[in-house]
Amino acid sequence: MLMFTLRRLGAGVVLLIAITALTYTLLFFSSSSIARNILGEQATQDQIALKEAELGLDQPLPVRFFAWAQAAVRGDFGRSWFNGESVTDALVNRTPVTLTLMLVSIVLVAIVATALGVLAAVRRGWVDRVVQVGAVVGDAIPGFVLAIILVAVFAVQLAIFPAVSTIQPGAGAAAWIGSLTLPVIAIVLNYVTSSAQQIRSAVIKQLEQDYVRTLRSRGIGEGEIVLKHVLRSAAPAGLTVLSLQFIGLLGGVVILERVFAIPGLGALAVGATVRGDIPIVMGVVILTVLIVIVVNLLVDLANGALNPKVRLS
Amino acid sequence: MKSTSLKVAALSVGLLLLAGCTAGGSNGSGNGGGSTEILKIGQIGDVSSWDPAQAHVGHALMPYQVVYDSLLRREPDGTLVPMLATDWAYDDSRTVLTVDLRDDVTFSDGTPFNAEAVKVNLDHFKGANGRQAVQLTQYQSTTVVDDDTVQITLAQPDPAMEYYLSQAAGLMASPAAIADGSLETTPVGSGPYVFDTANSVRDSQAVFTAREGYWSPDLQKFSGVELRNLEELSARVNAILSGQVDFTTLDAKSAAQAERAKLALIPDYQVDWTGTSILDRGGQIVPALADVRVRQAMNYAVDRETLLQELQLGYGTATSQVFGPDSSAYVPDLEDRYPYDPAKAKQLLAEAGYADGFDLTLPVISAFSTQVTAIAQQLGDVGIRVTQETVPGPDYVANIVQGRYPAFNFNLAQTETWVAINQLVSPTATFNPFDTTSPELEALLAKVQAGGADADAAAQDVNRYVTDNAWFLPLYRIDQIAAYDPTALTVQAQVQMAIPSIYNFAPAK
Repeated sequence: MLMFTLRRLGAGVVLLIAITALTYTLLFFSSSSIARNILGEQATQDQIALKEAELGLDQPLPVRFFAWAQAAVRGDFGRSWFNGESVTDALVNRTPVTLTLMLVSIVLVAIVATALGVLAAVRRGWVDRVVQVGAVVGDAIPGFVLAIILVAVFAVQLAIFPAVSTIQPGAGAAAWIGSLTLPVIAIVLNYVTSSAQQIRSAVIKQLEQDYVRTLRSRGIGEGEIVLKHVLRSAAPAGLTVLSLQFIGLLGGVVILERVFAIPGLGALAVGATVRGDIPIVMGVVILTVLIVIVVNLLVDLANGALNPKVRLS
Repeated sequence: MKSTSLKVAALSVGLLLLAGCTAGGSNGSGNGGGSTEILKIGQIGDVSSWDPAQAHVGHALMPYQVVYDSLLRREPDGTLVPMLATDWAYDDSRTVLTVDLRDDVTFSDGTPFNAEAVKVNLDHFKGANGRQAVQLTQYQSTTVVDDDTVQITLAQPDPAMEYYLSQAAGLMASPAAIADGSLETTPVGSGPYVFDTANSVRDSQAVFTAREGYWSPDLQKFSGVELRNLEELSARVNAILSGQVDFTTLDAKSAAQAERAKLALIPDYQVDWTGTSILDRGGQIVPALADVRVRQAMNYAVDRETLLQELQLGYGTATSQVFGPDSSAYVPDLEDRYPYDPAKAKQLLAEAGYADGFDLTLPVISAFSTQVTAIAQQLGDVGIRVTQETVPGPDYVANIVQGRYPAFNFNLAQTETWVAINQLVSPTATFNPFDTTSPELEALLAKVQAGGADADAAAQDVNRYVTDNAWFLPLYRIDQIAAYDPTALTVQAQVQMAIPSIYNFAPAK
């Protein structure tokens, strides 16, 4: 287990280096007008040249990348080129909001999808058909369309929830719950049916196995069979799809954060990318890669804990 | 589906109980000002830096007014009145402006406001390479005459200098804050409200509380100000419909929705004109454009009224001139200089030798794709074949000012005459990348620059010159859709400013 973890972390570091280098290279080629964007359209050529020298934009790519990497390794990710905010501060302020949104959503998706998937697999019939149709429909409707409908009904018409986020420093749990409920519902509606579909298939497959017949013949109740035995065997499939959805959520929350004005990572990333604010973009990339590595590692460990058959030794 | 909805309903009911207390929106407490009302505005973007040297115009100027005073103040109709300055006058050469200052003002950190503070601020603005650095192009130095008098020396006369002192260049920050370099994140001014660092989040919201003992209580009408950063139009619409903000800017398509919800729109609020600027008047990229008849033909080929109805839902005024009704260069007769007349357009093209038309490439970004397509279609009807070339959004302006395209579409503010001239008309203007000029035009510009009695007439002649010579293809002036809750506040339009000055807002009685 320990060797496995260490090997995965080592692979993760290599992945981190590769992705940051690739991202930096891509940003390098798109950084032609950054100085002008910072200074405004009335800037003269001299002012622009000065700004480019100040930001190091006139240096060749390897020099710039190593300068950035050297500072990053020490934990200094620099400051935003557009508003001087420390990258670390920006990330620290915004990550909790996005992570909360993502974690609450994925937990709810897991609970609801498991319930639906098991019901569909066990009952079959109309529940099964509904889940399958729902999978297609739920995937087809874009998340932001759901979000807009939810806001129009529950926030503007019924005034039950705030239309835009009220999350701010010192805001209590009430603000967080109020602001994140509608986005969470939008995400859950979007993701739950495809997860349910996966879990349904895995459970059906397990129910066809010999050991289930053996357990039934020994008189063990259907409920105990499903919850205690089948679910554990079906877990890897479910965990895999949930972890993929969690990582997909990293990008998927962007539009929701914009629609609801949630001060999270997604909105920060989009704004910085469009403007060419390289220090912030690199900070977000590093954070994202780290999250992906950790999630994948945790899922592998959890799979191993749940089901000895997939454990590595 | 039932299980899902049941579970969602159960969750919602549980959360309802907790969320009920959040539906009322935020309320803070003020410690100054005559009222307990908080002004909540939905902004389209945050400031890039709280250093007033980085202040810009319109949406990117109003936030600074919350916390900084300026030397002069501009009334809603454009009149300049005293603020931190009590009086000002030029010498005969119009290059030395003597300004008398108030002696009873302190910054919120206790530093006194005086002549030395003005000097520090103006020098700081000049050297900071900010977005409106162009405002102090002619600025040379400030001389401290005594504690409440300064003399500002210019290299050449600048008819817009007094105007600039009511704008970004005139904002006054505490010299102590300038010295310690903290202004970027924490503004310190003498203005009616003080920045609340604890409750403000970069790119999300800026919160201010009324300053105790502010020197001009008439300008301090709220107990606090909250600027919410809502970049998405839908977020702004939802926020104002649900009452989380009391004022925000929308677009033509959401205007009807706002009115249905009993929100008010500021009437007759026009700031920008939109349309094509025909930059290549020398024919370097497209030889045909060198002929004035070709450019005039393009103006006749476009049906402004229809485009106004279709693209802007009628929220605007069709026009053939780029100077606005509030500037000294406005000429009422030029409004209709180029009525829609495709037959005349074809005739002019034929006279110029382009009976078979010519090819024209226009750059496109998503914000203007519909407009460019509409114009391209109408130009195509008279034989001008338009190719649309997509440009990445952030590179658009850079490409234009470097002269890569013969023409471009944009929304440009109709500002003070001299400011507009430096933006569009003068040989060194930002949007005159091919340096088009003529002796006749330069003589007129010199008269405008010199100021005095002839300046206004000369300005109108400049307008006639560029309009008759079809330097531009303006479509219409756009109505600012400024929506607000009339039960919460009253607000007046600010001439030539995309969002009203902070002083124009007041609680509804």
